[in-house]
Amino acid sequence: MNPQFLMDGLIAGAMIGLGAIGVTLTYSILRFANFAHGEFLSWGAYIALALSGGIGLLSTTLVKPIGPFSFGWSLPLAAVLAIGLTGLLALAVDAALFGRLRARGGAVIILVMASFGASLALRSLLEFLFTSKPAYYTKALQIAVKIGGGLRATPDQLLSLGVALVTVVAIHLLMTRTGIGRSMRAVSENPALAGIAGVDVRKVIRVVWFVGAALACVAGIMTGLLVQIRPYLGHDLLLPLFAAAILGGIGSVPGAMIAGLIVGLSEAAAVQLIGAEWRAAVSFVILVAVLLLRPRGLFGRAA
Amino acid sequence: MTAAALETRGLVAGYEPDLPIVRGVDLTVAPGELLVLLGPNGAGKSTLVKAIAGVVPVHAGSVHLGGRDITRVAAHRKIGEGLAFVPQTENIFARMTIHENLQLAAAILPKALRAEKIDAMYRRFADLGAKPSRLAGALSGGQRQMLAVARALIVDPPVLILDEPSAGLSPKIVGEVFAMLKEINAGGVTVILVEQNVKAALSIASRAVILVEGRIRHEGAAAALLGDPLVAKLYLGTGHTQTAEQP
Repeated sequence: MNPQFLMDGLIAGAMIGLGAIGVTLTYSILRFANFAHGEFLSWGAYIALALSGGIGLLSTTLVKPIGPFSFGWSLPLAAVLAIGLTGLLALAVDAALFGRLRARGGAVIILVMASFGASLALRSLLEFLFTSKPAYYTKALQIAVKIGGGLRATPDQLLSLGVALVTVVAIHLLMTRTGIGRSMRAVSENPALAGIAGVDVRKVIRVVWFVGAALACVAGIMTGLLVQIRPYLGHDLLLPLFAAAILGGIGSVPGAMIAGLIVGLSEAAAVQLIGAEWRAAVSFVILVAVLLLRPRGLFGRAA
Repeated sequence: MTAAALETRGLVAGYEPDLPIVRGVDLTVAPGELLVLLGPNGAGKSTLVKAIAGVVPVHAGSVHLGGRDITRVAAHRKIGEGLAFVPQTENIFARMTIHENLQLAAAILPKALRAEKIDAMYRRFADLGAKPSRLAGALSGGQRQMLAVARALIVDPPVLILDEPSAGLSPKIVGEVFAMLKEINAGGVTVILVEQNVKAALSIASRAVILVEGRIRHEGAAAALLGDPLVAKLYLGTGHTQTAEQP
């Protein structure tokens, strides 16, 4: 077995992990499975593409590759703006759809069905605006460099891993060391008591939407950078995202990232062992196995 | 004339607008009182205090705290207004540490005050201060109540409402919890207590209100109520106990 699967799996897993953190946060606090979450990855990737293109038109020097990477400063600048805009998009979707259903006391199944509808609408709008033709942040080719142990990785891939690591540490610190993190955990555990204790539950819900979508945006940009940008980018990652969120234990940020890496590594191993056509089945097998054997996941708590 | 610490006027409340559980309650609690709300199961005691706390919808009437109308104040803002509520069950964040529970409650205070207030709670409740990094879910029943009360008291509320704080506790711990409430009340906090443990509650209360089918049926000094056989038989169930013991 070629050890390169380790690097491929870690990179794919880091993207899945980042997306899964958003899923686990929204699931634990809003208490429904948001099947539109994958669309925030796609929208984040496309918003960054549009902004990066716009910045490139304003200044050609910002398009020149930075050091060993395939992209110029236009992409990191666009990424910062895209993170904010994707967060605002999630807030708009909540205000227009999920918030109204919550206010009417909508059952979980109604919210889940609404998320399917939102997913379809967001994806169709993306196809309408950008067409379904694949797009790229850069056409520059990168050569994978040896990093030891028989493994190779491109500078973009190593950067993505680093960004994922820094992001997950930052989110973990946000959840455990800050007031808003404590409020998020309080709402996740008992929204009624959190309100009695002085927590503004509506504000927490807004923060969760924003943070979840921002992380989805980061994952979407990285996937777009390392593979390609398509309207189905997020939709295709939905099953691995949910598999990772449930394997990690709903509500656990480190759990989602570790589980994302496990899913990514399992997929990469499956490609080598049984063939690429079985890659998608891995997430499904993991999801079913966890639900049957340990529904609370690796780091989740019993209900 | 001093404003009542808490007052409800014609309060109608319940989970569904067409099925009110509290049906027009006029309740006045004077500053510094320790009032106990009694009544049979389903009388609407818990719903009344939840409605005052903003957890159950109010359909008519009003709630006044220190003379201010707080009927439409959102539940999360009531603690800032000076009304603290300790629910009967799930009244602490079990997955958080003792310290995190108190930090969460102290978050509405100015930053400079928070650590000082948390330390004050640790001094007051030594069991909590002994190991603040302990997970709240690992605490005993009595310690949980202590933490729930500490969480509510951290902002120095003038009014503290507790929904059946003795539920599920051993008699020894109930005694300790009630002694703690008496001490809190002696410190100037107006305490409103919903209780099934009638005798213990009346022994610390200054006044009692009996609720039946969502309406106030009787109110008076706790000591007088404790010795009233008719009230005891009709509303408090002590008469039933005697009957059950007869051959």
